[in-house]
Amino acid sequence: MKRALSLLAVLMLALALTACGGKKDENKAGAADGIKIGSLGPLTGQYAADGNDMKNGVLAAIEVMGPEMGKLGPVTIQSEDDACDPRQAVAAANKLINEKVTAVIGAYCSSATIPASEPLMAAKIFMITPASTTEKVTERGMPYMYRTCGRDDDQSKAAVKFMTDQLKAKTLYIVDDKTTYSQGLADNVEKLGAGANLKVLGHEHVNQGDKDYSAVLTKVKAANPDVFYVSLQNSASAAPMLIQIARMGIKAKLLAQDAVYHPQLIALAKQAAEGVYLTFGYTDKTTPAYQKFLAAYKKYGEPGAYSAYSFDSTVAYLKAVKAAGSTDPDKVRAEMAKLDFDGASKHIKYKENGDSGSNYVIQVVKDGKFTNYWNPETGELFK
Amino acid sequence: MAGGLRPQKARTPVEFFLQQLVNGVTLGGVYALVALGYTMVYGIIQLINFAHGEIYASGGYMGVILISWLFAHGFPPMVCLGAALILAMGYCALLAMALEKVAYKPLRQSSRLSVLLSALGMSIFLQNGLMLTQGVYDRAYPTEMVQGGFHVHGVIVSYMQCIIVGLTVLLLVLLNLLVYRTRIGKAMRATAQDKTMSALVGINSSRIISVTFAIGAGLAAAAGIMVGLYYGSVRYDMGFVPGIKAFSAAVLGGIGNITGAMLGGLLIGVIEVFAAGYISSEYKDVFAFIILIAVLYFMPTGIMGENVDDTRI
Amino acid sequence: MATLELSEISVRFGGLQALTDVSFRVEENDIVGLIGPNGAGKTTVFNVITGVYQTSAGQVSYDGAPLRGLRPHKILALGVARTFQNIRLFQNMTALENVMVAQHCRTRCGVLGAVLRLPGQKREEERIRERSLEALEFMDLGEYAGELASNLAYGLQRRLEIARALATEPKTILLDEPAAGLNPAESRELMHTIGRISSRGINILMVEHDMKVVMGICRHIVVLDHGVMIAEGEPEAIQRDPRVIEAYLGNELN
Repeated sequence: MKRALSLLAVLMLALALTACGGKKDENKAGAADGIKIGSLGPLTGQYAADGNDMKNGVLAAIEVMGPEMGKLGPVTIQSEDDACDPRQAVAAANKLINEKVTAVIGAYCSSATIPASEPLMAAKIFMITPASTTEKVTERGMPYMYRTCGRDDDQSKAAVKFMTDQLKAKTLYIVDDKTTYSQGLADNVEKLGAGANLKVLGHEHVNQGDKDYSAVLTKVKAANPDVFYVSLQNSASAAPMLIQIARMGIKAKLLAQDAVYHPQLIALAKQAAEGVYLTFGYTDKTTPAYQKFLAAYKKYGEPGAYSAYSFDSTVAYLKAVKAAGSTDPDKVRAEMAKLDFDGASKHIKYKENGDSGSNYVIQVVKDGKFTNYWNPETGELFK
Repeated sequence: MAGGLRPQKARTPVEFFLQQLVNGVTLGGVYALVALGYTMVYGIIQLINFAHGEIYASGGYMGVILISWLFAHGFPPMVCLGAALILAMGYCALLAMALEKVAYKPLRQSSRLSVLLSALGMSIFLQNGLMLTQGVYDRAYPTEMVQGGFHVHGVIVSYMQCIIVGLTVLLLVLLNLLVYRTRIGKAMRATAQDKTMSALVGINSSRIISVTFAIGAGLAAAAGIMVGLYYGSVRYDMGFVPGIKAFSAAVLGGIGNITGAMLGGLLIGVIEVFAAGYISSEYKDVFAFIILIAVLYFMPTGIMGENVDDTRI
Repeated sequence: MATLELSEISVRFGGLQALTDVSFRVEENDIVGLIGPNGAGKTTVFNVITGVYQTSAGQVSYDGAPLRGLRPHKILALGVARTFQNIRLFQNMTALENVMVAQHCRTRCGVLGAVLRLPGQKREEERIRERSLEALEFMDLGEYAGELASNLAYGLQRRLEIARALATEPKTILLDEPAAGLNPAESRELMHTIGRISSRGINILMVEHDMKVVMGICRHIVVLDHGVMIAEGEPEAIQRDPRVIEAYLGNELN
């Protein structure tokens, strides 16, 4: 009895926090027939925030497109967690195959997307990644692999162009957190920078999950570069870094990339996020397509970096299925090639290799909001 | 950020060294506070309490909830911090006592492995509990509460760093007084040395074990809050990495040894920062662990020596 | 009436029968000697009485109340203290701290009081200190109060163990080979001390190998062999008992 009471006490203490926050997991539609879409991404672990954004994007798209699918419907979602771990990603992909999904929207980390794509391709299941930007993802000759976001090589080009043309920087300091994505970008920027007369004063690597960057930042401060390029895997790592940069009084211009884009970055870093530049796929938030997405997404909160891409990926697949009149992989593939529509994030038109083109621009955090700042195509400021 | 690209006075090597030292001591203080919980619990029941990192995270969360509320209601910063510290430390002390009662006490007679597994299970349980109740997104501390700092000869010291170091020192002094000057401390030392004998001279060892868990948890909660305020946010899995570092610190100082844990925490923090500052941040953890291995190779019981009675009761 | 009574105690460790049906009493103002060859189960009897081991059968009662299931500190609180065959002092504490820590069971203020150093707790701490110094004086250890236990000579450590047991204000004290390792002069001193303890109204149960000590001060002797009680009675009767002689001689022949 005493033990039962203490067990109860532990549960109560552990859950005492419940009342103060958190939100409920939603949706698991039950129908067996129709179209089943898999959502694959990190729902737990360090990148859980981004993974949940992606899943919410799929949910919002199903809500919009579902009623249009006629007797092909209903459209349901099967959501799996890969925790950004390559092995778990493969296991999750196999589970999705067993669940008879016809397309998978995901994954987030390139290092999870690539291994997960192998069994999916073998089973002729579409994989559309809204977030993996590593070039290799679409360069393996896989017929059912698509990408709605941009590519790292394009992103680093935009970054360097901004540093030299707009910031007129001469010196550069780089930090990354050693993922395929973040280090890949950082290495590219270092290489391109060297070719563009940007002197790289240092290139440091930090660990994922670190919160203390004081040692590295003291070095950056001592080096006193014109630009500090911050290539981190997500906003949760970037926020403490921005706070510490501000505290250290580092004067360099800060340039980050799309993975740190998240409303949470501003919520956490607050004043310290002001003035930070980042390379980000251009999204015109005034288009009707974006407004439609925003309305559907509303109940999940503010969209994250990949919410709109995830939404568009799902819409693209469903449009193709609708046009093909079935989920037969080859018929749908033929329709995917014909797609040409205004998505929420950008104009969607897939190329032969599955890419949809990059459209990186420079954004800046201004008055607590991500704002379009500079267009590398034209070399001009946004109005 | 608005400073433009004007040149800045370069730093002298001495300033660089001192700045890194300030950074290292701040980080080390936090490790020390968490390490104490590991070492005290290990000293008394030879258990590596894997759930200790999660207690620290719970403290961080309790802190953000309390501080945000108090600060939003216009209380002065020091009142918010003080009240949140006391309440969160109390909450974590209760949580740890309950944890001990449910997960460890029934296994007191079982093999060490069972208790260890139970600790691992509790760690997972608490971490996922935090995730489910608090969500996967980071929670922001009102960092604007304590802002700014001062310069001493080119070295920047933020007020938050002062608070962390000051509070750490205060807590360590209080802990020392408790352990070496009070009756409950005497009983804790006796129980750590010889449990059977302590029971036979009338010490209620269950109660002492419970109190030990509570004290360790209180210190961890304080560390959780300070880390949250310093780095600006907390997250449900924040306990894992500092937990491992703090455990290493406890081993480095000599497990079971309170002074050792303080020293070990400080050392790991300073080594980490210096390794990152002078060698490469990529390998800072490697250096911390190389030092750990080197110390254990030459001093197998840690810097201050182990202090452990491994009989069972 | 502070009588300790063991009735038909049996203890089994796995397949090993350590004690079989052991029954005896320690009466008010008694000095009882528990003897027997090595491995006879004497220390097991102590461990059963103090709650370190659980009995497989039988019952220990104190003042008529059964001790079964009570944890060691509870039994101590009832007034049964003990010393150890191999000295078990808290080596890293001073002589005074060793004695003071033993008075936990006699204090009332809780953890919070100790932490906050409430006035009541302070007064109590003062009383404990006084009583502990008294116990040290009683065992002629007054001058060593501030010394670390590990720095004391062997004979002094033995005395400190007894002082620590006395500080818990027991009504019954169990001494496990108090004369082990002492020289003849120290043994004589010890017999004198045991007499003084007894005259304070404390009942004594002792395990001892030194027959001079046992026969010199015990009023009543219990003999164990292989976990079985083979004799019980006055010292003179025990010395003549053929079973006792056989147990000891037989043991020697092996």
